[in-house]
Parts: sequence; C-alpha cells; structure tokens
Amino acid sequence: MPAASEPAYKEPGERQVRRAILLLWGDRFAFVAALYLLIVIFFALFGPWLLGDMATALNLRLRNAPPGSIDLGWEFILGADALGRSILARLIVASRNTMGIAAAAVALAMLCGGTLGLIAGYAGKWPGTIIMRLADILMSFPSLLLALLVLFVFEPGVKNVMIVLAITRIPIYLRTTRAEVLEIRERMFVTAARAMGAGSIRIVVRHVIPIVAPTLITIAAIDFAFVMLAESALSFLGVGIQPPEFTWGAMVALGRNYLGSAWWLAFWPGLAIMSTTLALNLLSNWARTATDPTQRWRLEVTDKQNG
Amino acid sequence: MGQYLGRRALHGLVSLIGLLVLVFFLARLTGDPTNLFLPLDASLEARQEFAERHGFTDPLLTQFGRYVGDLARLDFGISIRQQRPAMDAALEAFPTTLKLAAVTMTLAIGLALVVGALAAYRPGGLFDRTANVISLAGASAPDFWVAIVGILLFAVTLRWLPTSGTGTWLHWIMPIAVLLIRPFGLLVQVVRGTMIGALSSAYVKTARAKGVKERAIIFVHALRNSTLPVITVAGDQAAAIVNGAVIVETIFGWPGIGKLMIDSIIQRDFAIVQATVLLTAVAIFSMNIVIDVAYAVLDPRIRHN
Amino acid sequence: MKGVAFRYLPMMALAVVAIQPVTAQAQEVTIVLSEEPDLLEPCQSSRSNIGRVVKQNIVETLTEINPTDGSITPRLATEWSQIDDLTWRFQIRQGVQFHDGAPLDAEAVAFAINRTMDENLDCEVRTKFFGGLTVTPTVIDNYTLEIATNSPVPILPTMMGTVAVMSPNTPMGVADRTPVGTGPYRFIDWNVGTSITLERFPDYWDGPAEVAKATFVWRSESTVRAAMVLTGEADIAPNIAVQDATDDIMDISYPNSETSRLRIDTLVPPLDDIRVREAINLAIDRDGIRGSIFSKDVIPATQLVVPSINGYNPDLEVWPYDPSRAMELLAAAKADGTNVDTEIMMIGRIGIYPNSTEVMEAMLAMLQGIGLNVKLQMLEVAEWVDILTKPYAEDRAPVLLQSQHDNNNGDAVFTAFNKYHSEGAQSTLNDPQVDDLLVRAGAATGDERRSLFQQAFKRINADLIADVPMFHMVGYTRVGPRIEFTPSISTNSELQIATIKMR
Repeated sequence: MPAASEPAYKEPGERQVRRAILLLWGDRFAFVAALYLLIVIFFALFGPWLLGDMATALNLRLRNAPPGSIDLGWEFILGADALGRSILARLIVASRNTMGIAAAAVALAMLCGGTLGLIAGYAGKWPGTIIMRLADILMSFPSLLLALLVLFVFEPGVKNVMIVLAITRIPIYLRTTRAEVLEIRERMFVTAARAMGAGSIRIVVRHVIPIVAPTLITIAAIDFAFVMLAESALSFLGVGIQPPEFTWGAMVALGRNYLGSAWWLAFWPGLAIMSTTLALNLLSNWARTATDPTQRWRLEVTDKQNG
Repeated sequence: MGQYLGRRALHGLVSLIGLLVLVFFLARLTGDPTNLFLPLDASLEARQEFAERHGFTDPLLTQFGRYVGDLARLDFGISIRQQRPAMDAALEAFPTTLKLAAVTMTLAIGLALVVGALAAYRPGGLFDRTANVISLAGASAPDFWVAIVGILLFAVTLRWLPTSGTGTWLHWIMPIAVLLIRPFGLLVQVVRGTMIGALSSAYVKTARAKGVKERAIIFVHALRNSTLPVITVAGDQAAAIVNGAVIVETIFGWPGIGKLMIDSIIQRDFAIVQATVLLTAVAIFSMNIVIDVAYAVLDPRIRHN
Repeated sequence: MKGVAFRYLPMMALAVVAIQPVTAQAQEVTIVLSEEPDLLEPCQSSRSNIGRVVKQNIVETLTEINPTDGSITPRLATEWSQIDDLTWRFQIRQGVQFHDGAPLDAEAVAFAINRTMDENLDCEVRTKFFGGLTVTPTVIDNYTLEIATNSPVPILPTMMGTVAVMSPNTPMGVADRTPVGTGPYRFIDWNVGTSITLERFPDYWDGPAEVAKATFVWRSESTVRAAMVLTGEADIAPNIAVQDATDDIMDISYPNSETSRLRIDTLVPPLDDIRVREAINLAIDRDGIRGSIFSKDVIPATQLVVPSINGYNPDLEVWPYDPSRAMELLAAAKADGTNVDTEIMMIGRIGIYPNSTEVMEAMLAMLQGIGLNVKLQMLEVAEWVDILTKPYAEDRAPVLLQSQHDNNNGDAVFTAFNKYHSEGAQSTLNDPQVDDLLVRAGAATGDERRSLFQQAFKRINADLIADVPMFHMVGYTRVGPRIEFTPSISTNSELQIATIKMR
C-alpha cells in the first residue's frame, strides 16, 4: 500500500481531505451520494429562507395540479399538492425539518446511549446491571406504541417527535458501546494506563471513546435512514409532525390519501426519503471500506484503473 | 449452560415486570377512556358516573394495586371496548402476527443469503452493484407507501392479486412482500459485508489453495462466517414484526397484534394494551434466549465465557 | 427484492387465471366498512360501526325515523298514542318471531327496554338519548305496552326509533357478540378481525329479503376500500374520500346528515367581541373550499342542523366571502380596545372527516389573510374530546374548534341543548335568551316547537354569531355493478341490506 508508506507532509489536514476525495472518486456511487447529500444539506440550511413563502402559498384552484409542466411556473414542475402549493418548494423547505429531526434524534440517541453504555461497561456490576435491564425494557417496548404513548402525553410537536424517535433508538447505541467497552477494558494499554495511576474519566476520554466512536458513527448513518422512516410511520398513524409544520414523512403520509388519484403528492417526498437513505447507506458502506485497511485497496485499485 | 439460561430467564422476567409497570403508568398518563367511550352528548353526570363505576377516578396506585392483584391470579383484565377478557382478544390476534413474522423472516434470510453471497463473490461487480442499490432502495421506502402503490399496481391495474384481506395463498403475497423488503435489504448488507471479509481471509485462501470448489467456498466456508451477524440482525427484525407489523396489518386488513395494540391505545383500552404488550414481550424474550443459545452453540468462544 | 419478483413472476401469471371475482356468487354481497365493530351489542347500535351491521338488519326498532323529513313510520310497533304527559302506549306488531324462535310480544319489548337502560351495560343508546331519564315499561296485554318516563318526553316515538329489540334470551348485563333479533337477517358468524357473516332470515315478518347472504369486511384506507369495489372483491364501500370517488357511475354522493363547523369559544377574548366573530366568518372562502377540498355537492351551512330536521331555520343566510369587510371589522374592534392580536388557536381533529387536515390548513391561511394571529394544532380524538367537552380550563386560550355534528334523528333537540345551552356539555355560549328558547322548545310540540327552535338558531347564528358554520357534508359510497343500492342520509348509521337488489 503506497499511500501508507509515504512520509507525512506539513499540512496533514489538507492531505487527508485530498485523499478522502480520491477514495470517494474510487466509488462512483458513493461520490454521487455525497454530492446529493451536500445538496440536501444546502437546502436544509437555506431552503426555508429562500422558498419559505412559496411553500406555504395556497391556491385551491391549482389543487393536485399534475407534474411535468412549467405552464403554471417553474415551481410547479413537480406538481401541486392538495391545497395547490408547489411540491418542489415544499420538498426543499421540508428538508430542514426532516434532516433536523433525524439528525437531532440520532445525535441525542447516540449521546445518551453512548454515555449510558460507557457507564454500564465501566462503572462496575450494579450500575451496569440496572442500565442493561432498562435497555432491555426499552428494547422490548413496541416502538410505535412507545411513540404513541409519549406523544399522547406530550403534544406531537417537532421537538417531542424528535425526542420520541431518539428514545426508541437509545438501546442500540447503549449495547454497542457497552460491548466495546467491556472488550477494551481488558486490553493491555488500559490496564497499563490504570497501573500508571490514570483516573477513570481520563482513561475513558483518552483511550476508550476514540475506539468506540467510529462504530457508533457507522451505526448512526444507517439509523438516520431508520429515523426518517419511523417519523413517516408516525405521521401515517396521525401523531407525527402536524400541520402547519411539515416534513417529507408527513408529506408522504398526507399524500397517501391521494395515491389513487394524484400519485405525485406522495411520490416525490417518498423518492426524497428513499434517495437520502440510499445515499447515506452508500456513503457509510464506502466509509467502512475506506477505513478498513484490508479492504481499502478496492477503492484505490478502481481509482488507478479509471484514472 | 443451565445456569446461563437460568440467569437469562431471570433477567427476562425482571425486564418483563419493568415493562409492564412502565406500560401501566404511561398508558394511564394519556387520560382515561370515559370521554372516548361515552357519546359526545353524554352529560357531565353520566361521565362522572361511568368513570367512578369503572374505577378511573381511583388514585393511580389503587388502580395499580388492583392490576397487580389481578395479574397474580392470571387475570389480565376486561377490555372496555370489547367487553370480554383482554387476553382472549390478544391471543386471537397473535397467530396472524406470528405467521407473518415466520414466513417473512424465512424468506428474507433465505433470499438474503443467496443474493448477499453472490454479491460478495465479486464486490463492485455488476450483480453486486445492482443488488446493493435495489436492496437498499427497497429498505428505504416508507412501507405504507409501498403497500398502497402495490395494491394500485398489482390489484387494480394488473388484476394479478387481490387487494387485501385473507383467504387464499395469493392474499399472502403483497403483505409478505411489503414486510420483506426491509429485513431483506438489511440482511443482504450484512451477508455481503461479512462474506467480503471472509473471502479475503486466510482460511478461504487456504481452502482455495487446497483446490476446494468455488461454490463450496462461497456457500459453506464463507457463509458460515455470516451466521452470527445474520442471526443478530434477523432476530432484531423478527422482533420488530412481532411487536407490530402495524402498517401492513392495517392496510391489508390482516387482524394481527400490532393493529390491535395501536387501535387499543388510541381508544384507551388499557387492558388490551397491557395484554398485547405482555404477549409480545414474552415472545421476544423467549426468542432472544433461543438466539443466545444459538450463539453459544455456534461460537465456542461464547460458550466458554 | 429482485429475487422476490423473479420467484413470483410465474405464480403471478397463474394468478391472472386464478382470481375471478370471489364474491360473484349469486345473491351474496360483500360490504367493506372503514372499521371493525368492537361488539355486536344491539343497545350500542347508535355507534355507526355497530349500527351498520346490526341495526334494521339483525335487530329492529319499534319505530323508524324517516331521515329525509324526520317523520316516524311503524316498524315493530304498529301504532302509538300519548296517554298523558308522562306515558305513551305502543301496539306491538303481531306474528313476528325472533331468529331463535321466541315470539315478539309486549313482554319481549319490555325486556329489551329494560336491558338497554341497564347501567351495567354502558349502552350508548341510553347515555346518548335517554341521559337523566328513567324509563319504565309496563305490559298491558300480550301486544300492548305502556312506556312511562319521569319527565315529559313529547318525542318518545322518535326516541324509540333508537332502541333495538333483542331476543328475550339475550343475557342481561353482559354485552352481546352474537346478536339475535327479529330483522330480515340473522347473525351467522364473526371471524374476529376478518369478517362478519349474516344470512337471510326466511321467516321474516315482511317477507324474505332478496340478498341471501351478506359479508362485512373492513379496511381503514379509503383508497383500498374503493379499489375493492373496483376489482369486484366488494360490492359496497360506504364512506370513501372525495378524491377516491373518481367513477361517475359507481360513486354515489349523498348528504350524510353531518354538518361541519368551527366552534367559537365566545367566552374568551378576543372571541367575545362579536366583530371578531363576524370577521372570522367573512374570511372563510366557502366557495373555494367547495369543489376542491370538499365535494362540489356539499352545501354551505347556516346552522348546525340539516334542512330536514324539525327546527331548522330556512331564513338564515350563508356568510359571504368578504375579507376586506372582515379587516374593517377587526380594525373597528381594535379601535375599541379589543386585543385582536392575541394568538387564537385553531384546533382540529385528525381524520374527523375526509381531508380534515387540508381544510384546516386552508382556513388557517384564510384567517391569517385578514391579519389574525392564528395557530393550528391537529389533535387525535381523545385530546380533542377533552377540549370539546366541559369542564373547560379556566385560563384557556381562545379556540376555534373543528367539529362536526350528526343529527339524523329528526329533531333539533338532539343538537341544541348540548351545543348551545349555557349548561350544555359542549357549549361555549352563555346567553339567557338562548337558554330560555331552548328550554321552552324542548317541552313544546308541533308548530310551536319548530318555531321556538328556529328562533333559537336565529339568535345563535345571526344575532350572536356563535359558530363558523361550514357545510352540510356529503359522503361518497361506491356501489359495484352487480347490485342496486341507493345510499341515503342514514347510510352513515345504518345500512339496510334488505334494500339491496341484485342486478
């Protein structure tokens, strides 16, 4: 592997980025996925600011206007929804809520699950047992039922939907973290660090977290997709994001009422969810290959062949 | 092994009790069913009288005590909506769910092993790329969307399948297909991932060098490596179906436990919510124990621990 | 997925041959409802999911309410008369027998009334129509029954149209899942979660019905219900959404006796200012909603009851769409010190009628258009009921509540007291004049009763503007080509299989 044997230069950061892009270029699917995600992120950041009014402008005469024509204006290229609003504008504006909820839910689940997992794995028998039993309870709790219960008690706003989704995902991170911590604990360097008098927190921060984090991030990429779908299922049951707020999931759920007469209402947001989850999965597959020393050659070989 | 199983069963029991307690109190927090059960025009006195007669005005702890007392006598409560023992309703719905889960998971695992193995044989090849994208795309589509589009396409436009309901084997195809896509997609990923690792491992190289046939290498040597992760993910997915294939059950009119559970919480029929949760949790805990045993049998390292 | 498709392709090809309309057997019909009944208890038959299966199919009532004009026709009773203020006498039809062989007589009807009034059964017919009343049946002879109440009920014959008569062998105090009555169909089987089967009763007193067997199934998605009739898997799908009603011949629209409105909480500022209430009414573009979000057949409403109800006031006028006038009214209210910038909550209920979310979003935009500070919240049914019914929170926000009212029982009394009397369980109005009119109307009969209710509706909707009346709604029923069936205003609560003819 030539890359590994090259000496380090002065700007290691820049080199790594260059190298990552090269590796990304090695997997065209992943490259397209990354581009797509960048566009989605751009829309999530600036969409509501650019098109917020257009996405909520009502025109009952354009109800369910079909896609594929710009006679009504470019914003109706994907058609209009049941209240005659531009589907394109709504897709773009909804990307903020959609991505925001998914990202926040996953981050929250990862943070809580990771912390609890560290404690369970590191803090000894009793806290560990209690935390694990709590995780079992949460895992065996039917997740839609849990979501309904919580959302019946608290109103189904953006914040609560996000918290509910996070709660249902916590056990995954908790168990993964604990399993890794249990293994790491016994490894030599931790034992050595402890022998040298390092405190528990210091060991966790310096030695354990850097090893656990990559695994959690890989899971998070896939979870992101899962959370978007779960949010959509909540909307199907009527407890997801409520108007006037909207997400892709809520758009699909509302559009399903029109699948027999105006398929485009549910099709485009469905496609957006699908493409985004697909892109995330492709990218995380790529990341797994790229960070695995025994597999990385696949990307590099392709690169040479094509380049 | 016996001691290990005993400890797992004990853990399961502890979690089960915790779960039931949690469900009891969370459900009560959502409000009592009086307003939902009585007609909107019912007078305030009628509401008060109903709530008192059914014990909804008692302190929460009194209600909980009653619940625990009944549970100890294996009395799972009376459904306020169906006015019959809640466990009867839950037991009636459970076989449908179990059947759906069993058929779906068998097909998903079988198909995923074949597709995943073939994909891993030439990573980056045409088959791999296609299988990868299709399986991921399937797993990323909202299931209610797939279900309704499926009905419109296969039942209404093409007239190949019935729209919904139960009866003939044809009625199984769409619900199973909709349930299948997510576990299938995930399992293909798992099989493919572990197989790629295994195929470049030392022992497969040794087998190749010894002249073992390629087919035998893929399906025997390398595939064995995928067993544990496949069991883990499959167990997770099976649990998800047992816990409620709500959307498939709702859309296709399959009377399973997921729909019963969700309908009951919407109507605040607490007895049924509790009975269904108890039933699915017992099923899932049992399955987890079986999976653990399978692990121990398949992986000697775990047995030694 | 690819694997699945390949594996099943040959089977799918076979299926083309295999699926011929399963229900195509002669004289059998399949009806697809939106939800499964939780019981088949006759005394709960005022619930539409139960009533559509049992009412007038399995069990019948003494009288039948003609939904188009509110008049009463005989069913199990042949005639009736008022003895005094508190007592009515009914003659029971002779020669009628229950499906289990028991004869119908005054004794049996008395049993049915007593069972319905039994507290332990939580009958909806009791709580909905007989709340606070004590009803005492007395057998005079084999076919004569006197019914006494503890306070005068001038419309008792109408109310007896809600009480189903079940076999005297039905257990007391236990809800029924296998009903036995006198109707043209008898209960055969309930495969929970899947279907309910009824069969023609050959000894029905009015002669056997045409359809031999009826099967009820249920699907919650309107799209699926419509598809089932299209593919021949079902013959009738009551209650499909307007966007699924795409077939001019099969999809029949009918007024479903529901009236939609936004309830204005007149007790909370700024909604206590009549100018604000008028402005809200003027801001709603009813013609824009009709024919887009709702069917073109809905009728803009002026009050909460439909024209066929005794007491409907035909002189009230539909609010015009006049946003500029609305803004003037708001400005005037503001000038007088009303805080029109207060946040007003629009509260909707998910799925209260098809497209309920869409219409709330549309009205939100319309109210925002005249400069009101409105916020929308869609709730599920339990939370919505908490806001609909008393007791109300003391410090509540000003609320415009989405609601819908169904009165197909012929008389405005079933509507008015609850919704508008200051002591009504769902009333957000406190007006002594309305209270007085309603009390007097409830005790009156004939023309005086009608006139008093009409005055009350004028006071409520024209003088006080206590509501945002929206539409008298329509439902769509899809009827397959094999049968003849005309949905009517009562299809919402009952579905008489005996009226179905085979083509």
